[in-house]
Amino acid sequence: MKLHNKLLALFATLLLTSQLAFAEFVAIPDLTSRVTDLTQTLSQGQQAAIEAKLQAFEQEKGSQIAVLIVPTTQPEDIAQYSIRVAEEWKLGREKEDDGVLVLVAKDDHRMRIEVGYGLEGAIPDLYAKRIISEVIAPKFKQGDFAGGLNDGIDRLIGLVEGEPLPKPETPAFNGTDLGNLIPMLLFGGLISGLFLRNMFGTFSGSAINGSLIGGIVWFLGLSILGAGVLGIIVFFITMMLGARGINGYGGDYPSDYDGGSSGSFSGSDVFSGGGGDFGGGGASGDW
Amino acid sequence: MKNTFYKLAVVALLLVLSGCGYNQFQSLDEKSKASWSEVLNQYQRRADLVPNLVSTVKGYAEHEEKVLTEVADARSKVGSMQVTPEVLNDPEAFAKFQAAQGQLTSALSRLMAVAENYPNLKADQSFRDLQAQLEGTENRITVARNRYIEAIKDYNVAIRSFPNNLTAMMFGYKTKPSFTVANEKEISVAPKVEFGDKK
Repeated sequence: MKLHNKLLALFATLLLTSQLAFAEFVAIPDLTSRVTDLTQTLSQGQQAAIEAKLQAFEQEKGSQIAVLIVPTTQPEDIAQYSIRVAEEWKLGREKEDDGVLVLVAKDDHRMRIEVGYGLEGAIPDLYAKRIISEVIAPKFKQGDFAGGLNDGIDRLIGLVEGEPLPKPETPAFNGTDLGNLIPMLLFGGLISGLFLRNMFGTFSGSAINGSLIGGIVWFLGLSILGAGVLGIIVFFITMMLGARGINGYGGDYPSDYDGGSSGSFSGSDVFSGGGGDFGGGGASGDW
Repeated sequence: MKNTFYKLAVVALLLVLSGCGYNQFQSLDEKSKASWSEVLNQYQRRADLVPNLVSTVKGYAEHEEKVLTEVADARSKVGSMQVTPEVLNDPEAFAKFQAAQGQLTSALSRLMAVAENYPNLKADQSFRDLQAQLEGTENRITVARNRYIEAIKDYNVAIRSFPNNLTAMMFGYKTKPSFTVANEKEISVAPKVEFGDKK
């Protein structure tokens, strides 16, 4: 019981200090799902429905749209808070910058659609403005937040649909599946390394093997940089297979391999931004 | 023997240079230039909106000549400025640039305030569109300015701190001007161009 009280006191102090620390600006919540509702405005079902829609859209088109509902952004203007969130969350793919943030400050009666660089053509400011004032605001006025968001997102999706964007990476070759291929590549690389070394000599054989493996991995969807690094690693490992041939590779190979490549792969259980940039495009409005 | 010595000297010089921030200057310099271009870009975008905006407002509020002329003047002043990357190395030119843009900012916000008095203008679809575009552009300007300020901060800190400052002195790198705080307040608050449902 005593411990319990102490913990409670500790918790209260922590809460207090953290409140003090953020007294000036509203903190940016962690991005864990496509819909972040800090006001409990949406029911779980409504939230899940919007999330499912956004997820399906991302799988089809590759663009990331996320929703954030906060009580207030005071003392900041909604645009200032929104760009901070966008910079932190990095919605959209890195090269495409095709992310959209739909931000609602419920108690302020303000909202904003923040548009990533890559979608400024598909969603010009004035379209964003119209979506807010003509589609979302009327529903929000009636207190229908889920309906407003749903309709607004449908319009946003409709605009992005018309934009020629590169297809999302097909699920078969995403990070986890490429990870599954690694043992196969590893084994194949060893065999081919031995053959190539016999055929072309130690140095050329290793070089060919390295570029071969790098090329395969690149073809399967790894970034060119990652593939290059991997190729070089394979090159050295093939070099080191040693004159004794097969005996040489037992020890080093797997650990070296992991060290060089594991950083590039990551699971995708939790929703996270893809590295897209924002430049302040979009529109704000109230209801 | 002599050859080896030279080689060593070159390597040592390279090490010293990279250790003294020379390479860092290069990347920070490029970064500040890039963010400066973005600022210019967005200011240009705003300037491009002005003629349309003026002619739309004129259609409804012809006798608001004073404000309209002010905007047109500020616009032509901004347009006549020669803005090159060298502006970055010339605090005086930078201040001039900032003043001219600030003038356009305040003229535009006065124009928007005047427009408030004309219900027909406010209801005009093309005016509303221009208003949304202007609002978005002002916001982009704010973002671009903030990023420029950040980039310049990094650059200036790198140049001033020891021992980088010696390298900077040797190669003639000077600190770059940033947007000043006095003006910051005026510009970072986007002109109020909301004609929403609130009275």
